[in-house]
Amino acid sequence: MSFRSLATATVCAIALAMTAAPADAQKAGGTMVYIVQPEPPSMASFLSTSGPIGLVAPKIYDGLFDYDNDLNIVPALAESYEVSEDGKTVTFNLREGVTWHDGEPFTSADVQYSVMEVLKKVHPRGPNSFLEVTSIDTPDDYTAVFNLANPAPYMLRALSGYESPMVPRHLLEGTDPRNSDLATNPVGTGAYKFVEWRKGQYIRLDKNENYWKPGLPYLDTIVGRFIPDASTRTAAMENGEVMYGAYGAIPNIDAVRLRDMDEFSVTTDGYSMINPMALIEFDTTEPPFDNPAIREAVSLAIDREFLIENIWFGYGEPATSALSSNFDATGLYKPQPSVYTPNADVEGAIALLEEAGITPNEDGIRASAVVDLIPYGEDWRRAGEYLKQALSEIGIDLELRYEDVPTWLNRVYADYDFDMTVNYFYQLPDPVLGVHRHYGTDQIRQGTHFVNSSRYSNPELDALLAAGAQEPDAEKRAEIYGEVQDILAEDMPVANLFEMEFLTVYNEKLKDHATSALGAYGPFDQVWIDD
Amino acid sequence: MSHFTRRLRYVGKRLLQAIPIVLAIIILNFFLLQLAEGDAVDVLAGEAGSATPEYMAELRAKFGLDKPLPVQLAIYLKNVMVLDLGYSFRHDMPVSQLIVDRLMPTVLLMVSTITLAVGFGIVLGLVAAMGLNTWRDTAISIFALITYATPLFWVGLMLIVVFSLNLGWFPTSGMENFAMFYEGWDRVWDIARHLVLPTITLSLFYLALYTRLMRASMLEQSGQDYVTTARAKGVTENRIMFVHVLRNALLPVVTMAGVQVGALIGGSVIVESVFAWPGLGMLAFEALFARDLNLLLGIFLLSALLVVAVNLVVDIVYSTLDPRIEVG
Repeated sequence: MSFRSLATATVCAIALAMTAAPADAQKAGGTMVYIVQPEPPSMASFLSTSGPIGLVAPKIYDGLFDYDNDLNIVPALAESYEVSEDGKTVTFNLREGVTWHDGEPFTSADVQYSVMEVLKKVHPRGPNSFLEVTSIDTPDDYTAVFNLANPAPYMLRALSGYESPMVPRHLLEGTDPRNSDLATNPVGTGAYKFVEWRKGQYIRLDKNENYWKPGLPYLDTIVGRFIPDASTRTAAMENGEVMYGAYGAIPNIDAVRLRDMDEFSVTTDGYSMINPMALIEFDTTEPPFDNPAIREAVSLAIDREFLIENIWFGYGEPATSALSSNFDATGLYKPQPSVYTPNADVEGAIALLEEAGITPNEDGIRASAVVDLIPYGEDWRRAGEYLKQALSEIGIDLELRYEDVPTWLNRVYADYDFDMTVNYFYQLPDPVLGVHRHYGTDQIRQGTHFVNSSRYSNPELDALLAAGAQEPDAEKRAEIYGEVQDILAEDMPVANLFEMEFLTVYNEKLKDHATSALGAYGPFDQVWIDD
Repeated sequence: MSHFTRRLRYVGKRLLQAIPIVLAIIILNFFLLQLAEGDAVDVLAGEAGSATPEYMAELRAKFGLDKPLPVQLAIYLKNVMVLDLGYSFRHDMPVSQLIVDRLMPTVLLMVSTITLAVGFGIVLGLVAAMGLNTWRDTAISIFALITYATPLFWVGLMLIVVFSLNLGWFPTSGMENFAMFYEGWDRVWDIARHLVLPTITLSLFYLALYTRLMRASMLEQSGQDYVTTARAKGVTENRIMFVHVLRNALLPVVTMAGVQVGALIGGSVIVESVFAWPGLGMLAFEALFARDLNLLLGIFLLSALLVVAVNLVVDIVYSTLDPRIEVG
């Protein structure tokens, strides 16, 4: 899709949004209690993309856009936008009459400050999203003109209230945003206002009476509750004490049970924006995984469907490329099923190892390694146990290691003291935002988490990634990423396992909670309770 | 010297003795916690998804984690001297405020648990000892054994399944109903209802201990010479049991209760986690995984102080229960 047609699509989307005024049935009022787990460290979504912060902050802060479930742009603080012919100027026309929760008006100066001084400087992913933005002009209070060094088509996918929250300049200017009081006392333009955070118990947000969407939100109060024990979360859901739990708050094993009950439902909607991918990162600098053949053999030896069926209760899709199949919508996805096999191809894997001269010793072992497992829950341990068994079939002897979060992060991203680690990455709505960080030479950043820990470096790939980021033409872009996927299938610095499907479990009384592509990281402004 | 001033001097002496102990505990804890890999910055940055090394270095400098260990320790000790427990960078709050916020729920759970466990433990132990080798004794012993041997989290979950999900008598978790935000006496009633299941779960475990202890202690005391003497004097059996034996038999129970008050503060992590009870145990547990060392040290310090204080109280209670035990 060209920039022009994108802009046209936006106009249509705006028109649609106008006509799709609240229908008749919605009831106003009530309190929704939902699960926030674990308790967030703060509410500073402009500093951290941490999951639990995403469950709270986007209700308080808006972005320039929201996105519907097909990833179409839905206007939020920006009513419309235009992209210049050369793709280097993006103009946002801002909504008039929006106020911050403290009553101050929201203007283009806030946008300018949020992007240039906050997101581009202190947000973990902001420097990437707004890499090409050199300056922002504010000709009037309701126009923000982004000047780009190069075209950056992906930027328009990174403007949600979760990914790029607009923050109040008048409260931040002259302070260090990292040290701001806003982290525990947020002031946004969003559907809900912050009321109280009782540590260890809950965060309470009340309806913003002056919300810019007339008549919204429906709910009077939303309460994010912290319940550490997974079984108790399920019990609280069953007992009606909480109505909504996303991102696996209710473990799959319980979710499938609740799914079969009348009062509850399960959905996988609301995760397309984050696009999570389970994978194995290899240390490509040292034996045994310094040889691409053995990395590819690992990929072949894994029965991806077995993992999904037996450990994740059928929720997930086998990975077939370095990119998620969700990128099919933008034409970037190119499947490589011969190396990312849905079912194990043990003979193929062994043949590959033999060809590369990796032969078994007298005990039948070709290589030994330690596999680190991401310490985010029991499922990952089960996956490790499966891997140990699966790889023993091709003569790779694995030892499992499961540590706590800081130890694991340090080992993989700071000390590089690992052979292979099971992990998952958010691929986000564009490869530039979520995938480049995994493979680029410039992304070998010791001490930075969730970047190129494999230390894979390929100048040819780097050039392609750089070209892909700037290419405005959809067809040419697809070609570039096709090549990227060919190279990565060949070199396999990371073996993608499966496209994860997180589950949201909710009480049937809760309606319209999945209107945004961001799901649980969305604004919750249209949620209502039918009781 | 009067009895009272002697006691006062004793308390003063014990408090003085406590200072080096507490100091040693702080220093030991400080170095023990350094053994854990990674620091608070790693956790924060890891959760954030991505952070530059420069930013992480900046955070370390801000948290004071870039200074050499002895300097960090010296700063901490200096602050503790003036009762400043430092700042939790993770929670962005002073440690003392975090602890105070969690103290009420902890104390509530602790007091109700100890009361229930010690109270029922004494009664059950007494009943068992008085009906030695009868069906009552056997039943109580089996009950105690089962509750002691059952994992706490399982008991908690089963109570939730039975009393919350099936019977609907009590809420599953939390300390209050967050959909309603009650005020005044409604709130007290609401908290009381939320307190029931965690208290029962936690006390079942300790109850077994006190029952066994009380039973054994009663039996031991019943064989003592003074009981024979009392009986020879013609004192009634009931009076022997309740006035002579009971009083002496309580000593070990009091000792035990004293030891456990200290343990309860952090030892209820499982119950707090299962019932989402906002107590100090959970706070300490999360602080460990977040490498929030200031907070952890603060909680440990409080624990240590509590143990010292409770031990002192126990010693004084001893002398009241058994006037032969002199303090001084």
